[in-house]
Amino acid sequence: MNRTDLTRRSTLMLLGAGAGLVAAPYVIRPARAQSKVVNITTYDKFVPQSFIEQFQKDTGIEVRVRLTDDQGKQYNLLSAEGGAPTTDIVTVTGHRLSQFLKSDLLVPLDVARIGNFGNLAAAYKGAPQLTIDGKVYGVPLLAGFEGLARNTEYTKPTETWGYMFEDEFKGLTSYIISDFLSIVMKYQGNDGDYVTYEGKPEIAQAATDKARDFLIANKDKVRKYYDAGSEVQQMFLNEDIYLAQTWSGPAAKLIMDGHPIALSIPKEGTYGFLYSFNIVKNAPNADAAYIFLNAMLASPEIGAAMTRQSGFNSAFGGVDKLLTDRERAALALPQEQVERIQFFSSVNRQMKNDMIDKATAEIKAA
Amino acid sequence: MTESRTSRPGTAGREAAPRYRGWIGQVTRSPLYAGTIGVLAASPRARLVLLVIVPLAWIVTFNIGPIYQMGRISLMQTYPAPDSGAVLTLDNYRLFFREPLYFMPFIRSLIFAALVTVVTLIVVYPVAYYVAKVIRPQNRKRALLLLLVPFWAGEIIRTFSVIMLLANRGALNYLLREVGLIDRPIPMLYTYFSLSFGVVYLIALYMLLPLYSAIEKIPSQLVDAAADLGAGPFERFRRVILPLSKDGIVSGCSLVYLITIGVFTAPLLLGGPNTVIFPEIIAALFHASNDKWPAGSAFSILMLIVSLSTVGLFMKLVGGRSVRLS
Repeated sequence: MNRTDLTRRSTLMLLGAGAGLVAAPYVIRPARAQSKVVNITTYDKFVPQSFIEQFQKDTGIEVRVRLTDDQGKQYNLLSAEGGAPTTDIVTVTGHRLSQFLKSDLLVPLDVARIGNFGNLAAAYKGAPQLTIDGKVYGVPLLAGFEGLARNTEYTKPTETWGYMFEDEFKGLTSYIISDFLSIVMKYQGNDGDYVTYEGKPEIAQAATDKARDFLIANKDKVRKYYDAGSEVQQMFLNEDIYLAQTWSGPAAKLIMDGHPIALSIPKEGTYGFLYSFNIVKNAPNADAAYIFLNAMLASPEIGAAMTRQSGFNSAFGGVDKLLTDRERAALALPQEQVERIQFFSSVNRQMKNDMIDKATAEIKAA
Repeated sequence: MTESRTSRPGTAGREAAPRYRGWIGQVTRSPLYAGTIGVLAASPRARLVLLVIVPLAWIVTFNIGPIYQMGRISLMQTYPAPDSGAVLTLDNYRLFFREPLYFMPFIRSLIFAALVTVVTLIVVYPVAYYVAKVIRPQNRKRALLLLLVPFWAGEIIRTFSVIMLLANRGALNYLLREVGLIDRPIPMLYTYFSLSFGVVYLIALYMLLPLYSAIEKIPSQLVDAAADLGAGPFERFRRVILPLSKDGIVSGCSLVYLITIGVFTAPLLLGGPNTVIFPEIIAALFHASNDKWPAGSAFSILMLIVSLSTVGLFMKLVGGRSVRLS
């Protein structure tokens, strides 16, 4: 075998090639960041692919979607990026807005730059959840609530969350622990949104512990704790579960697709939320972000496509007329059930998050 | 080769080196470049150091760097640090020992990883032996390739294939119902069974390859000689094949254990309410509503230390001195 000598030239060439390879991502990335791009962090199926393609064709702006399935994940990642975010638009719910603002992660919208802002449905124009000190921090997108979803072939209609804990459904239920904990607190007659517990940590802790202990005692009813809407959909389709606490979107989507699922709000009540698109502070492509938001509001067709994909109610005006009867039926609830929805508040978030996070970990580990 | 020999420093090759045009030429002709590079590349040792710098920089930046950063965050009270500066604390480590809430899933993870490693070894060893020793040499590569086919698909896809197999309306329950063995589906998914099954399936490759490599090297004459001397199949396995495949067993077990202890996607998709293991707890801290990154980082560092120590101990105890074939 020939011996290969390390000459000065071969050493330098190898060194150069190696250094070039290592540096390539850093040389290429800033170049791309200067091109026409908008980076959006959002939930799966929130932005219709057809709209993205049309937008890219019309404007030449590339849309890069990063998926998330949790508000906490978005917040943590944005916090970690500090003053140099890599995303332009995030998807924050109204009740979590204060947390993002407290950490100085978002900027108020210059509504004048969104000419189509008036196309929002009347109920969502200047939505109080997204307006702070007269400044608007988000474009309302989709609204939803937490409901009781059930497989209609194996369960009967119910008016109470207590149905989730009956022995016949041992190992056949599922929920997102942190969300369901708030609902169980409501079910037990306590304040699952912690608004009335401001300055009363002992009372809040006692109420949290009571709900936590109840869920631990009923752990045998649970098939799986889930995180993303697609997981609960899959469990319903595979008949691994018959009952679940779900966000309205994933359940409504199953109903729209013709699966034997029903969604209701039990008499003890539930919580509602409003998703919005928000512009990040120091967004690297803020101009492109405004163009995107304006284009998104241009037509109710886009809102209808969002609703069809996600199962959540659109905040855009005129969407209702574009939906089919089956789609409308999947999204509609009897008036007395609609009145049971209490929108999450942004008051006392820190206490709520701390107590719920800890209880969630305790339930998981129990 | 001839050219490289003639262009060694101090020889005529250097004088014959081409003169570059443009900015490259300007740089290479500059005294600063000539002085710096001349010194750095003057001797073979200096050239070796220069070459090592790039991979070393890669390892330090992308392998050690994140662990260092994780360690740094684990000592911070809050992350990102406030403008006034980071407050350093050991509270995040104390939290682990103070709360049984975190300690129990940690122990569960260690036991789970150890059991999965043993099960994987038991399941994969006969397969590796069959491919390495029973199949004809000319067909071995094909057989190995066939075994690797599932690993061409991504981890998520393979995990979902396990879901499709074990779900209430999955292939297995369907088959059992069709042949009349069951009336109602057996809940197999979201249990320790589904989790272990899935993890063994996902990581079998890391056991298979080291085992195959070790077993293939065992000379068949040794096994034949043992048989001629009256050793039965079990005795041949125990006294010849097993000791000679020890290197593969140690490598395979170490790899599988280290991967299993940190496995995250499979427990998330295949695990149930009673199978929560430590990586899920760590992930929950990173995803928590409020800032919990320092605690998550501390737990990650603890897991890294314990898992590496466990493997180190295992290699020391079981690895020992390999049996060498002269």
